[in-house]
Amino acid sequence: MRSITISNSILISAPILVLIVLYAFTFQEMEGHPAEKPQQEEMTPEEAFEVMMQVLTHKRCINCHPDGDRPLQGEDSHFHHLGVVRGPDGHGLPAYQCNSCHQDRNNNFSGVPGAPHWHLAPKSMAWEGLSPGEIAHSMTDPERNGGRTIEEVEHHLTADPLVMWAFEPGLDQEGKPREKPPVERGDYILAVKRWVASGAVIPE
Amino acid sequence: MRGKKEKKGFSRRKFVVRSAVGVGVLLGTTWVTSPLWRRALADKVDKADPIYLGNTKDPVMWFYISNEGRVTLHSPKVEMGQGALTGLVQIAADELGVPIEHMDVVHAESMSGNLDQFSTGGSTTVSGLWQPLRELAATMREMLRMEAAKQMQVSADTLKVDNGTVSGNGRTLTFGEIVAHVEEWTIPKDAPLRDISEYQYVGKPVPRVDLEDKVMGAPIFGMDASLPGMLYGAVVRPTKIGARFVDANTMETVLMPGVVKVVKEKDFVGVVAETQLQAEMAKRTIKVKWETDRNWQTRDIEEMILVGKGKPIVIQKQGNSKRLLRNASEVITAEYKSPIGAHAQIEPNGAVAEVREDYAKVILSTQVVRLTRNEVADRLGLKKDQVNIVPTYLGGGFGRRLHTPHAMQAAVMARVVGKPVKYFFDRQEEFQHDTFRPPTHHVLKAVLSEDGMIEAMEHNVSSGDVMFGSPIIPDILQSILGSDAGAWRGGMIQYGAIPHHRAISWRVKLPFATSWWRSLGLLANTFAIESFMDELALKAGKDPVQFRLDHIQDDVRGFRLKEVIKAAAEKAGFMDEVHNGRAMGFAASTDANTPVAHVAEVSVEGKQIKVHKVTCAIDPGLAVNPDQVRAQCEGCVIMGMSAAMFEKMEVVDGSLRPTMYGPYKMALMKHAPKEIDVVILENDDVPGAVGEPPLGPIGAAIANAVYRLTGKRLREMPLTLEG
Amino acid sequence: MKMKLEINGSQYEVDTDRNMPLLLVIRDMLDLKGTKYGCGRAACGSCTLLVDGEAVRSCSYPVSLAEGRQITTIEGLSENGQRHPVQQAWIEEIVPQCGYCQPGFMMATVALLNKIPDPTDEDIDQNILNVCRCGTYFRMRKAIHRAAELNKSNI
Repeated sequence: MRSITISNSILISAPILVLIVLYAFTFQEMEGHPAEKPQQEEMTPEEAFEVMMQVLTHKRCINCHPDGDRPLQGEDSHFHHLGVVRGPDGHGLPAYQCNSCHQDRNNNFSGVPGAPHWHLAPKSMAWEGLSPGEIAHSMTDPERNGGRTIEEVEHHLTADPLVMWAFEPGLDQEGKPREKPPVERGDYILAVKRWVASGAVIPE
Repeated sequence: MRGKKEKKGFSRRKFVVRSAVGVGVLLGTTWVTSPLWRRALADKVDKADPIYLGNTKDPVMWFYISNEGRVTLHSPKVEMGQGALTGLVQIAADELGVPIEHMDVVHAESMSGNLDQFSTGGSTTVSGLWQPLRELAATMREMLRMEAAKQMQVSADTLKVDNGTVSGNGRTLTFGEIVAHVEEWTIPKDAPLRDISEYQYVGKPVPRVDLEDKVMGAPIFGMDASLPGMLYGAVVRPTKIGARFVDANTMETVLMPGVVKVVKEKDFVGVVAETQLQAEMAKRTIKVKWETDRNWQTRDIEEMILVGKGKPIVIQKQGNSKRLLRNASEVITAEYKSPIGAHAQIEPNGAVAEVREDYAKVILSTQVVRLTRNEVADRLGLKKDQVNIVPTYLGGGFGRRLHTPHAMQAAVMARVVGKPVKYFFDRQEEFQHDTFRPPTHHVLKAVLSEDGMIEAMEHNVSSGDVMFGSPIIPDILQSILGSDAGAWRGGMIQYGAIPHHRAISWRVKLPFATSWWRSLGLLANTFAIESFMDELALKAGKDPVQFRLDHIQDDVRGFRLKEVIKAAAEKAGFMDEVHNGRAMGFAASTDANTPVAHVAEVSVEGKQIKVHKVTCAIDPGLAVNPDQVRAQCEGCVIMGMSAAMFEKMEVVDGSLRPTMYGPYKMALMKHAPKEIDVVILENDDVPGAVGEPPLGPIGAAIANAVYRLTGKRLREMPLTLEG
Repeated sequence: MKMKLEINGSQYEVDTDRNMPLLLVIRDMLDLKGTKYGCGRAACGSCTLLVDGEAVRSCSYPVSLAEGRQITTIEGLSENGQRHPVQQAWIEEIVPQCGYCQPGFMMATVALLNKIPDPTDEDIDQNILNVCRCGTYFRMRKAIHRAAELNKSNI
């Protein structure tokens, strides 16, 4: 029987691993603070709107703001597999809720994404197929946004852990990282705040 | 106590088989490959009675009787869900003369010696063991009678065996009392079988023997096995077709939490850790370098599989269809396709192994106990009788457990770490490393006479391999037959009254593993032939049921087929018209001598095909357990529907996809028909195949109904109106 | 990390990774093998159990979340040797074939009947999204209706 055990090579490989790990950390840090980050004061309200919308129109957001009763999933925004539906309150069906599978955090073992109170946006907040302007109208309209003030909208967009999940979407079922929105989280938050602070004007 | 084994001479049955193989080898080199011989052989294979290859002479190997009088049947066949063990218990209880509640059944471990020389599969457990098991049980019963006579000091003729006791002359001994005092069994030469009319259990809907365990969640499956001190293994598999292992970098892996050892072998790399999660996570850090020659795509496979590309063998021929097709003024032609199908059984493949210097034990779900044992022994360099394979209940078989190299991998890892190791596939591996149902392509041609009868018909089926390359069928048998009897299963034209007909099987070797999938070629071949029959009936302006009946020959086989066709049509109230938005589709097939006919009642809502009701008539011969025959029909209808309407594996940039339930669409609760009506005919006095035949007609039955609703002829599985 | 779990009314203490799937803790550490491992991706439903009465796919449920909650597995359905109505119905209808997916279906059914005591066929279709390969859906549907009846007669 030819079986080579590798545990002995730990000693040799350990320093290399330390280097790899250090490098990975550095890289992660850098990712969080890219050098070419635009400064808040440089952003016009229009630019802020544009940055914000790059996120809000991304599949990580749209998949849970579907136009219809079926959540979307995946990089190609297909209907959620196995016939999963919205249910009466956006949390799924009585015996088959979102929380039957999705917990309050990503599960990188199973590839099931998760965040606190994982559920679908109400139908009135369907963004699928809408233009950035239409999305903005829907989220600022108290009739449709669940009676939220603009401050509450800002809070939802910048602090709700379910929304923030889009920036840490975890690994999929095959262990591959899910695609993130094209804007860094910090920049997105700054952009939302800037846009709200400047009067939440929706460009035509 | 367990009775003493008495060494016996050669088994007649085994001798017959060996001789057959011997003769085959002898003839193989000469004229045996002639087309005529091969066609005759194919016909024999198609109509063959089921056989059992294994010990059928030593009851002591099969039955253990405790001092309390409980009888344990050691089954060399495994239970995959078809209820076969229940059937065996019914047969044994009746022939032994013991209340069924006194009987238990366990899977025979390989070391017990009660080994099936072949496999569990092909719907042959109850049918193949019907006669041998009755003989064995009758012999055991006579042994008990003779022993009781000895103990009572009376003549055996004065004693009767009944209800778990032997009685006569005013005295009664229970089986338990008899075995408690037995010193040596006397095995009689002949043991008369009871008359079937005396049987109390055979023919009755006895509840399954595994019902309670399965409903209470008992740990009866391979995945549930554990051994003290057990560790968890994981093995890296490539994601691409044809990938060859070059090298693996495991630097990161050895530092992962819980990792005990990385196991590098010439043909696989694995990791053993303290928990399943750790093994799984560690496995993901192994960086393997694979080498591939080519990035296969679905269209490459579809191209390869076309009729005309592979090697043809005529498997059936009557009259001269070739000439008729050539000279006819109008030839009706249609092509059909079926996709690559996955087994998708819910219990993953895996094994729990313990290896010592001179002994290895592997617990797993396997359909091939003997082959698994031999592979493990070979790999470990142990003798076969030093390896004990402990088969468990299977969380679905369907042909997926005919190939068990994971047993050997688990054993290797267990040997390396010196502790028991449990190891199983993750679901992505299950989907990518399945032994798939091969894709098929069918070309059908026919000539109709002026009065709308089929004069000539041809079926060309091209398929990936099923039996070729399989470790359970010796290559020599394949080369004698020339064609793949698995691929063409159901591919012969069952309408013997068509004066000129021919079936040709085209063999294609695909770049990924294809093999047994419940009913083998039956689903695809029946889909093609029975859809085509429907097209011909419509073309001839005839009722599809009568049209079929008109083309069936007058012999026993034809009679049985006609009877199920009539029974299904009658029970369903078959109408060849759209009624209340629903249409009925009809199809029939004969598989392993069991004819089945289906009527599918279907509606189309938008682009969705909805199957509301299926009526299934089956003639399995003697129905040992009518409830389980029913259950198999229901299950086959749903599994067949699932394959016919939803399932399809694709080849994308070299990888077989999808890799998960959900993306791999399957029938769910909401797709299952609300009504499944089963009619059981018994036009034979011995039990025949049940677990696969009812899968055959379902695809065609649905497609034929859809045509009536939409005018659209669906000639490709999965059947869909989208796109 | 040490955690206290309440499973089928019994207290357990386990010392393991917080993110260990509850399924693996139950099967491999506590030796309750009735809850089955099917896909490990919350897709097939074989590992369905109840957390505070709600159906949860335990292969995708970190064990740390289970602390302070009541877990029920198939082994905990029957009480004092008395079969749960769902199990009774499953027996009466002779539902299982291979049997591997059945505990997951039965647990999903218990959750369904907790919420909808007398489900329609459509309720069943929508709420029961587990996968059965043998095709026992037809009998399962009958058994679910039968269990609803048994539940009623128990009240």
